[in-house]
Amino acid sequence: MLLCHLDELPDGSTRGFKVAGLRCKVIVVRRGDRVYGWRDLCPHYAGGTPMAWKRDAYLNGEGTHIACAAHGAWFEIDTGVCVQGPCLGKRLTRVPLEIRSDGTVAMATSGR
Amino acid sequence: MQIIGPDVLVFGVDDVPACHEFLTAYGLDAQDYTPEKGGLFTGLDGTGLEIRRRDDPSLPPALKTGNMLRMQVIGVVDEAALEAVQAELSKDRQVLRLADGSLRCQDDQGFELAFRVTTRKPLDMPGEKVNAPYHPARAANAIGVSEDMPARPRSLSHVVLFVPDVDVAVGFYRDRLGFRITDTLTGAGPFLRPQANPDHHTHFFIRTPVYMQGCEHLAFHMGGPTELMLAGSRMIRAGFESFWGPGRHKFGSNWFWYFKSPLGCNVEFDADMDIHDDDWAPREAPMGPEAAQAFLFQYRDKWAPTGGPGGPKP
Repeated sequence: MLLCHLDELPDGSTRGFKVAGLRCKVIVVRRGDRVYGWRDLCPHYAGGTPMAWKRDAYLNGEGTHIACAAHGAWFEIDTGVCVQGPCLGKRLTRVPLEIRSDGTVAMATSGR
Repeated sequence: MQIIGPDVLVFGVDDVPACHEFLTAYGLDAQDYTPEKGGLFTGLDGTGLEIRRRDDPSLPPALKTGNMLRMQVIGVVDEAALEAVQAELSKDRQVLRLADGSLRCQDDQGFELAFRVTTRKPLDMPGEKVNAPYHPARAANAIGVSEDMPARPRSLSHVVLFVPDVDVAVGFYRDRLGFRITDTLTGAGPFLRPQANPDHHTHFFIRTPVYMQGCEHLAFHMGGPTELMLAGSRMIRAGFESFWGPGRHKFGSNWFWYFKSPLGCNVEFDADMDIHDDDWAPREAPMGPEAAQAFLFQYRDKWAPTGGPGGPKP
């Protein structure tokens, strides 16, 4: 499942993608040459709720953490662990990604 | 005690321009705003939100939880009411009287409070009028909705707090400040209204672990459900994200639509909340989807059926 090309994902940026067959968006965060994928589901409530306050607005002000705009939970970008807020100690669900040789970012085939 | 309710909620945020973008889209007026220092965002009656950088030295200390609420500025009816608050709270805590006449203290769980004679300006604006069979409320030829009609938050309605101990919260706001409990969602907590405000609630407390203490959401009153639906729909079309709603709560009867925000809490539009007096007998219901709303809907893009297949004929 292709999500985007690295050129559409500037370093430091974050985007949410709708994916057929998934009930939530997939969040992709780019940090240098690495991309991190997470389901857009804050674990504060059972089943999870989407986190952005507007389209693609998934990070806190300094861009250091993924932030849920419902109740202020902060998650580490690389581990998905909640370090502040209602779901302290819980974590986001990882979506394994791969960067292909042509620069496209895709969900790894084992990631579904 | 002749307390009216929150005049201003003060936040120390980590992204001031994002809050400006969100709150102006929500319909508040930015006053004395700069991206560096923040500003005051007001509804039509002058109540509002003060947004500052989280490291702004003028702010009271932050909660340890990371929640961005820094202070509630609570309006009272007059100077005598302010003195009554000062006399009561000075019994067991430091209450500062600032140069501007306001009081400053903390509640029993470390929420920062200010009290002042309210500066809200009562509005001479009619609420939404509904035409029912045999009982029209609008004059002939007065239309009920237009795409571009104003739909701006009129007045700061309520604040909902995550509190570590509901009994301690009730002990302060009810027993010390004279708030009335209007209803209780067992498992969550009570709704409270101050004596000089008939609204079903200006405060609602939700019991949580200590590490969650802070603001769960805040709300402004709209002029009616049509304004609420229009304002929320405009937010969605501008790319903002709904958290819950639109719908109508049971306790309070208020229409609701919650949006996530860069304030780190939800920001709600509400409309047509019940008002009460001291004859009201408080209700209780277990917190859950059934008690939380009479009905719930979700936004969808505009759509229309037509006559035959293939759309309208030219």
